[in-house]
Amino acid sequence: MSNVQRRNNVRLAGNGPATMVFAHGFGCDQTMWRFLTPAYEDRFRTIAFDLVGSGGSDLSAYDRDKYGTLHGYADDLLEIVDAFATGPVIFVGHSVSTMIGMLATIKAPEKFLAQVMVGPSPCYINDGDYVGGFSREDIDELLETMDANYLGWSSSLAPAIMGVPDRPELRAELTESFCRNDPEIAKHFARVTFLSDYRADVPRSTVPALILQCSDDLVAPRQVGDFLHRHLPNSVLHVIENVGHCPHMSAPTESSRAIDNFLAHALR
Amino acid sequence: MPTAPSGDILFDQAACALLLTAADGVILKANSMACTWLGYAEEELVGKLRMQDLLPVGARLFYHTHCQPILQVQGSVAEIQVDLRNKRQERIPVLINISRRQEADGMLDHWALFKASDRRAYERELLAARKTAEAALDARRSAEEALKKLNAQLSAADRRKDEFLATLSHELRNPLAPMRSALDILKLKFGQGTDNRLLQAFDRQLRHMTRLVDDLMEVSRITQGRMQLQRAPVELSALVQGAAHDLAATMEAARHTLRVSIAEPPVIVDGDATRLAQVVINLLTNAAKYTPDGGTIELCLSCDDGTAEISVRDNGIGLPASALATVFDMFSQLEPALERSKGGLGIGLALVRGIVQLHGGSVHADSPGPGLGSTFTMRLPLAAGSVCAPAPVPASSGAAPSQLRVLVVDDNEDAGETLAMTLELYGFDVKTASTAARALDMLPGFAPAVALLDIGLPDMNGYELARRVRALPLGAGITLIATTGWGQQKDRERAFAAGFDHHLTKPIDFDLLRSYLPR
Repeated sequence: MSNVQRRNNVRLAGNGPATMVFAHGFGCDQTMWRFLTPAYEDRFRTIAFDLVGSGGSDLSAYDRDKYGTLHGYADDLLEIVDAFATGPVIFVGHSVSTMIGMLATIKAPEKFLAQVMVGPSPCYINDGDYVGGFSREDIDELLETMDANYLGWSSSLAPAIMGVPDRPELRAELTESFCRNDPEIAKHFARVTFLSDYRADVPRSTVPALILQCSDDLVAPRQVGDFLHRHLPNSVLHVIENVGHCPHMSAPTESSRAIDNFLAHALR
Repeated sequence: MPTAPSGDILFDQAACALLLTAADGVILKANSMACTWLGYAEEELVGKLRMQDLLPVGARLFYHTHCQPILQVQGSVAEIQVDLRNKRQERIPVLINISRRQEADGMLDHWALFKASDRRAYERELLAARKTAEAALDARRSAEEALKKLNAQLSAADRRKDEFLATLSHELRNPLAPMRSALDILKLKFGQGTDNRLLQAFDRQLRHMTRLVDDLMEVSRITQGRMQLQRAPVELSALVQGAAHDLAATMEAARHTLRVSIAEPPVIVDGDATRLAQVVINLLTNAAKYTPDGGTIELCLSCDDGTAEISVRDNGIGLPASALATVFDMFSQLEPALERSKGGLGIGLALVRGIVQLHGGSVHADSPGPGLGSTFTMRLPLAAGSVCAPAPVPASSGAAPSQLRVLVVDDNEDAGETLAMTLELYGFDVKTASTAARALDMLPGFAPAVALLDIGLPDMNGYELARRVRALPLGAGITLIATTGWGQQKDRERAFAAGFDHHLTKPIDFDLLRSYLPR
């Protein structure tokens, strides 16, 4: 197993002339793509991975300086693409990973054919006319909430995993690790994510982009999707009827339909 | 035995808040405990509010980024600790378990809420304690960081200072060479006959400045590790004696008494003779400089156990205890402003230490206190395979008494000089004269204990000179030794008749000579 593969817990599947790379959002890991990726494995090579510090990644590789900005993750993404992608690359990112992907497309636009942004936000905090959805105090409250919850999780009080008889496709080992990240890393990552501001970089990403916006998303409100669409030079905005921040989980069919339409256009 | 309540009553009267919502959070059903805690009537909740609406912003964000995905993948979350807002907008700390079930008409979430005020208060205390500990750790870390940074800055500043000194001394030296040449020419052109005090002042100051710049250059060579020693076996007895000789004029000018005590040669070290002489001269110059006129300075070379030790003791201004540790640091002299009256850059001792350390030796200063004199002692390892000369047996030869003054009179100046040098090696204070008249001139001022007189002198013979010496007021106490090429018995008798105490035939047997010298 290569160093990059171990570091990012890279999983490969599918086959095809192009590669789709899936990057998860804040607080979870690559398992969150499990409802979406099967739709692509017969047409594409698919790569799913965990951001360093999350899921099954190599926690010892977590460097607070490197991952103090999203650029550290973008560099990792480029290494993963170099090591495992074949043919043109379509990047699919959720939440914070949409910005990681965007930074990567700015660094190396030639490596990417298209980028799909699921619930993206370049800046979570309101700033003058810009509506990010949150105030600085809101973010502080989030960090506090995480503190309160990780206190329990990091001890033996962690919740017992309940059986899920009606979802037999979930294997126990996955449910046990899902979204159970190292508390210290999770807190640092939360800070890096929710205090980030990459609005200035948005116009510099020229790789064709699909902005997948939920109709009712607290984390990334509609105005954020509009902002991105206005400033991303080569972007399409598609709104999915969905409550929440994870349409690829709660509305996977609709999500993949929107992605297919976009790709049919982009790959033409 | 009471009967168990029916399902609806169990739901409604449960000891915790129970709610049923659609997957999007819209409340479909709430038990009475939920309504009581939240302060709403059931009809105000059902179909009207979503659970998210009851969460403060931070908790809502957490719910969306964390609980929702878990619910979707795992079907349940447990022990989520958040605040809810009741109708009066008060916060209620609760522990939430949610389990998601597929029902005929879609996904339903079953919520169970437990009050967690006490638990929350306790956990807040724990968190506060941890934050305090983390803050303390952070403070220490940043203090360490700051210290590390400061250290690096100091090192960099020190390096820049060394580089600056190297450049400075080099640049200062450049104009000195043409100044020296120009001054020499001026002395040749205008220095004869006329009043040349200005030129002499110029000359002295230029020499002084050149010496300062040379010191500076050498000390910066040492700090930058660029000083190269020209090492060879060096005999320290002669070297130390030579240094004492070089400083004679300085000592005389300040009316200091220089006492010299030197171990039996050979005392051999592996070293750079020029540098080592520089060190001894430096220590002697310092002693002369920091001792009020008319002081006593003792220069001592001893040899013991594979180590040569050179010490310079004076009865001068001494050193405060606080200065002993730093006196060898560069510019240490600059610290007390008062001492600047003595001038200098304060690098002489730094140079001494640097050179001694390059030789693998050590140097240290001692002083009983201000005004009580000081002693500087340096130790050097003897050269490999070299040992100390055995201590002389006092009965047969005796250690050379320090500063025993010896006058050597010989018209062959080379012969006189070499004899004088040899005697100096034994630690004597030696002067030479090449004529009888010169010898007679010197006698009253020099007052030697011993005079070695050649017999064949140009202006009068040695016998005559001996008679004249004996006739002088101080002449009676002088040990007179005839040195001659003539060793016949009648020559000896003639010498004794003229007042000589001893008679030596050239080439002189030094062991014999030393046996004649007073102890």
